[in-house]
Amino acid sequence: MKKILIEMVLTVAIIAAVWFGLSKVDWMKLLNVEQTTQNTEEKIGDLFWKMLNNTESEITSDSIVVPVDSMLTRICTANSIDRNKVKLHLLRKDEINAFALPNNHLVVYSGLIKGCENEAELCGVMSHELAHIEKNHVMNKLVKEIGLSVLISMSTGNGNAETIKAAIKQLSSSAYDRKLETDADLTAVDYLIEAGIDPEPFANFMYRLSDETQNLPHQIFWISTHPESKERAEKIIERIKGKSFPKEEAKDSLRFEQLKESLEN
Amino acid sequence: MIATTNFRYEPSEHELEKASNSYVMSLIAIMGGLPLPIINLIATLVFYLGNRKGTYFVRWHCTQALLSQLFLLPFNSVGFWWTISIIFTSENITNNYIAYILTIFIFNLVEFVGTIYTAIATRKGTHVEWWVVGGLTHLICKDK
Repeated sequence: MKKILIEMVLTVAIIAAVWFGLSKVDWMKLLNVEQTTQNTEEKIGDLFWKMLNNTESEITSDSIVVPVDSMLTRICTANSIDRNKVKLHLLRKDEINAFALPNNHLVVYSGLIKGCENEAELCGVMSHELAHIEKNHVMNKLVKEIGLSVLISMSTGNGNAETIKAAIKQLSSSAYDRKLETDADLTAVDYLIEAGIDPEPFANFMYRLSDETQNLPHQIFWISTHPESKERAEKIIERIKGKSFPKEEAKDSLRFEQLKESLEN
Repeated sequence: MIATTNFRYEPSEHELEKASNSYVMSLIAIMGGLPLPIINLIATLVFYLGNRKGTYFVRWHCTQALLSQLFLLPFNSVGFWWTISIIFTSENITNNYIAYILTIFIFNLVEFVGTIYTAIATRKGTHVEWWVVGGLTHLICKDK
């Protein structure tokens, strides 16, 4: 019996030693795993954006793009996120919505800017989407929802338009699972704090719009697709309890009003 | 890993064939059951149950074939569920994952080659005892 036990322990030890030894080899680099994943994500992201750009109208006016861009730059810089990798797109659409596409595309609808009462609210939503990008939630969700084989097929140019449209719809009008949404919310709060922006308006935005959802269900996509908005807002408030933040961006400012006016023109 | 010894008695031709078949059974199931690690175990278990009233030699080898499958089952199961979690959850492919899959591939390959060798040797009348598994088989399978 003792002999068998020694042999068994020895075998398990050999297996563990082989695993340990093999894990010292950089397989990710050797097998080009990261590069292949990156290439698939790049191709899919660009394909999705091309498709979206063909059906929606992109806002290119400096009076709108520059202020929103500067908000995003401020959040990225404060959190050591490479701003150049994030591709910000503003689209003219009344839906209160923003979402992330693969390959770091961040799409913001004009309806969202109009629906925000101040700069801090918009920064909160953008931080939330930025967190999805930074934490690789976008590709994970796509793999989970539509499958890796379909994604690879799309990236090699074999995806049909209907499948691509369905995938974009998944990303733009349905929530990630509760765990990932909470993760993105709390990361967004950290981003805002680092950038010196009060996170409370971000929570207020969720509260306010979840109340309004019943009246305008078709327009408030960002909230109607996130059913636990009030609960999430409470978690944000809990996170920042007892802390004080500068209130400059949390107020209705002339700058933000000018931005909203530019959208009307 | 593998030791050849003399069995307690000289098995008949019929016994050699049945004992050898217990290993062949697990080989066929490995081919059919990949990547589900449980399939080959079930196949060997069915064969074992079918032969538990057989002669000592046949029972002994059916038990060894079953235990050899059982030994790698936990390692294969971890690899299987790790892969499933990568495909269906937010888990990512890591260096440790690739190293683990290669490790279990190597040990499954060793087991596969060992099984082929044992099936042939048993058919020829050579009694083969595996490292760890052979000793365990002696503990479980007693001559009535």
